[in-house]
Amino acid sequence: MSTIPFGPRNPPDDPLLAKAGELPKDVAPPRDLWPAIAARIAEGGEAPKKQAFRWPLALAAALLVASVSALLTWSLLRDPQAAGPAVIARAPAADFVPVRYGPNSGVSPAELAARDALLVQFRDAFATLRPETREAIQKNLAVMQAAADEIDAALAQDPASGMLQGMLAGTYKQELNLYSTVVTSRDGLTRRT
Amino acid sequence: MPAPQVDSSAELVRRACRGDMGAFEALYREHVGRVYGLCLRMTGHPQSAEDLTQDTFVSAWRSLPGYEGRSSFSTWLHRIAVNAVLARRRSPQGRSEVSMTDEAGEQMDFEAEGRMDEATPIDVERAIASLPPGARDIVVLHGIYGYSHEEAAGMLGVAVGTCKAQLHRARHLMRAQMGTEHAT
Repeated sequence: MSTIPFGPRNPPDDPLLAKAGELPKDVAPPRDLWPAIAARIAEGGEAPKKQAFRWPLALAAALLVASVSALLTWSLLRDPQAAGPAVIARAPAADFVPVRYGPNSGVSPAELAARDALLVQFRDAFATLRPETREAIQKNLAVMQAAADEIDAALAQDPASGMLQGMLAGTYKQELNLYSTVVTSRDGLTRRT
Repeated sequence: MPAPQVDSSAELVRRACRGDMGAFEALYREHVGRVYGLCLRMTGHPQSAEDLTQDTFVSAWRSLPGYEGRSSFSTWLHRIAVNAVLARRRSPQGRSEVSMTDEAGEQMDFEAEGRMDEATPIDVERAIASLPPGARDIVVLHGIYGYSHEEAAGMLGVAVGTCKAQLHRARHLMRAQMGTEHAT
């Protein structure tokens, strides 16, 4: 077994955490998992291969998300009428697609639930927006989707990268910011009118 | 003159990168207990923990060329395992699994304190398993496996402040849980 030291590097003052730190780190699985792992590896190919480095693409995509989101937020705040009830016909509810996060991303269910809750308000607000604002939002979401896909692909190669996870978390936050900016802008305008 | 100390994991990783399945199996044997322990404690489901342990090692095999040795192999493996656990929770399958507590821990009162010196390892494991997922994650990573708040926050994709707040909440919930058990 490994001799890598585990457990808190500095013993905690809290006796409860100290007790937790004394628990065995190793727990033997009830059966040998290696045969199944070896079979899955054999299905996927002979040896691990060095793949094209996707990190720069993921970084570029994440930076693009940050800049386009900032631009949209600035334009909505500068011209709140853009989020105003100037549209006569309501847009179809499925006129935008929220970002889909891939299997390698670390967005938690709680975060997705928080987004879903915000989306309820955003859907109402979106339907009343001017066409050009809706279009800007759709383009923004497409940029975020591309970034999420790129980062997810990079995470498939380097699933332990904290930096990539951070980029993904940044994309998620930008998505939430977009929804909340539109909702806040619309609410502000409603209160003024 | 004594032979220079060889980092066996590093040598095994180098050989596994070249496609040596025997070396990768040796890495599996060396690390499976910790990976399974981490997955079991984060999920509370033995079957899920088995699946996730398999996923972790398969993913690690595919990603070996990207491992640059900046962190220990064990830490790198744990990051993959944590990502696998979080991804499973998001999946329809993960959402349908009944958590040992879900958010029920929220209703516990914080009155019971003390008696920690009487607690057995089983009491502590049970109290950890009773925590809601976010609080349980930080107790497992920080309390059991000894990662710093910064490392745990990086693994979980949350802010360091969130980690500290979750740990504070977890400690209260565990005390309440253990106090209740000892009182009965």
